[in-house]
Amino acid sequence: MTRLGTFDHPVTVAIVAAAAGVIAIAVAVIGVMTVTGRGTPELRRELWLRTGSWCLLLPMMMGPVLLGREWVIGAVTLLGLACLREFDRATGLFREPLITGIVVLGILFANFAALDHWYGFFVALWPLTVGVIVIGTIPQDRPAGYVQRTALGIFAYMLFGAGLAHLSYMANDPNYRPILLMLLTTVALSDVAAFAFGKLIGGPKLVPATSPNKSISGAVGAFCVTTLLVAGLSSLIFGGTPMAQAHWLLVFGAIVAIGAQAGDLMLSSIKRDIGIKDMGTILPGHGGVLDRFNSLLLVAPAAFHFIGYFVGFGLNQPTRLITGG
Amino acid sequence: MEFHLRPARDHGLKPEDRLRSLSRERGLGSLVLGRLWRAGLRGYLAAFHRLEVTGRENLPEPPFVLIANHCSHLDALTLSGVLRGEAARRAHALAAGDTFFSSTLSSVFAAYAVNALPVWRKRTRSGELATLRERLVEDRLVYILFPEGTRARDGVMTAFQPGIGVLVAGTSVPVVPCHLEGCHAAWPAHRRWPRPGRLRLSIGAPLTFADQPASRAGWEATARRCEDAVRALMARPAGPMSAG
Repeated sequence: MTRLGTFDHPVTVAIVAAAAGVIAIAVAVIGVMTVTGRGTPELRRELWLRTGSWCLLLPMMMGPVLLGREWVIGAVTLLGLACLREFDRATGLFREPLITGIVVLGILFANFAALDHWYGFFVALWPLTVGVIVIGTIPQDRPAGYVQRTALGIFAYMLFGAGLAHLSYMANDPNYRPILLMLLTTVALSDVAAFAFGKLIGGPKLVPATSPNKSISGAVGAFCVTTLLVAGLSSLIFGGTPMAQAHWLLVFGAIVAIGAQAGDLMLSSIKRDIGIKDMGTILPGHGGVLDRFNSLLLVAPAAFHFIGYFVGFGLNQPTRLITGG
Repeated sequence: MEFHLRPARDHGLKPEDRLRSLSRERGLGSLVLGRLWRAGLRGYLAAFHRLEVTGRENLPEPPFVLIANHCSHLDALTLSGVLRGEAARRAHALAAGDTFFSSTLSSVFAAYAVNALPVWRKRTRSGELATLRERLVEDRLVYILFPEGTRARDGVMTAFQPGIGVLVAGTSVPVVPCHLEGCHAAWPAHRRWPRPGRLRLSIGAPLTFADQPASRAGWEATARRCEDAVRALMARPAGPMSAG
């Protein structure tokens, strides 16, 4: 497996430096607000809480990417399991331990396939795991609730197993660092941009019954910022490949922008349907892990297959590193 | 349709609060840990205490409340060790909060391995008992409970407290009386660790209290009947034994 230096690519350096810079500026601004007494104490406390969470989250997100492919795959596996735990406790799926256990195994296998660099197994796992979920509880001879528990199990596996594991598979490409860092930071920025444009411009709500705080202006602003940022960074990352044409880069940017907001709205729909505010309590100022990483859920497979169509991932790298063959 | 799209009762609690919550519901991790714990516990009870059990056939399907005389920490371990299948997965030992939930580490052990729920002696609020009663019926749980309220220091069973009545009076949930023999000799309250010694567990026929009113008189009558049932098992000559 070819391994490039951690900071070989200028986009990697730029993103890490920009993230550190943004945190430093945020700390300075909130510090000045605190010293001068600007804003309400509640607002300052909320800002400190959120910034503090980001000080922990950013190293946890970027650290594995900088450390190496095995770290990425390990981190994505843990992220998938953490998302599943929040999802099953929010929906009640945890009361079906057999289905939950099958989904846990599905997440582990999907990431193992990425670690092994075995694409055939990676894609075969989607229908196979769904098949196991579908037949898993039949021997219990308990048809009541079959549709609900099976559907929730498949939903969970496709999002937190098959979907997120695309991030793991990307790490098989020697040039994975700038791609993953770009996706991680731009989907996070999409949330911030939607919030900022919504506050600055205001106007009609986007889908008020689903997410009362989101406005059309915020969605359009986030879409434009994310599309342009992803297209710009991608022109540096994918220069010299068939993808490096303005229209394809913009399409890619639009896919990431739409996927990020759609993931957010998807989680909002789940929460409204169940009647809860947050999926968890583990991240102060954010809620649960899913509340923070919902935007990645749909972006990961969409970005993987778009890039894969033009460039591919790890095509010249050895395969089946563990299983051989 | 049996499946309910309903969050865990403890959803939204911070992790440390969840450990001590009466609303805590088990997930996959807790079930796996609990199963490993029970396997180890059964091996220990068989090897060190040659546990003998009679009346296992008296255990009904959940929900039910398992009660016994109480003179040792071995009591709850023994009762939880004999449960099987669905009853074992749904079992909660009602444990003294000031003993088993005093630190985060002990709370993690009590919550994840033993699946205990805390009862705060002398300061249990009526709302907490109502929560326990509601969960017993709605979630079809199994409670392991010692109605004396504390371990008998001399090994002699004392009067039952009316708390058992608050949980079951006016419901169809059965109470299964048990008598434990040998626990005080093996691990009395003043010893830090247990010593090997034979244990015998007699499981009696289930009692129901659907006709008892949910009032002080009903709770006390329930407690008296439970106490009489355990004393009757105590007085009964040992029958044929089966290995635990």
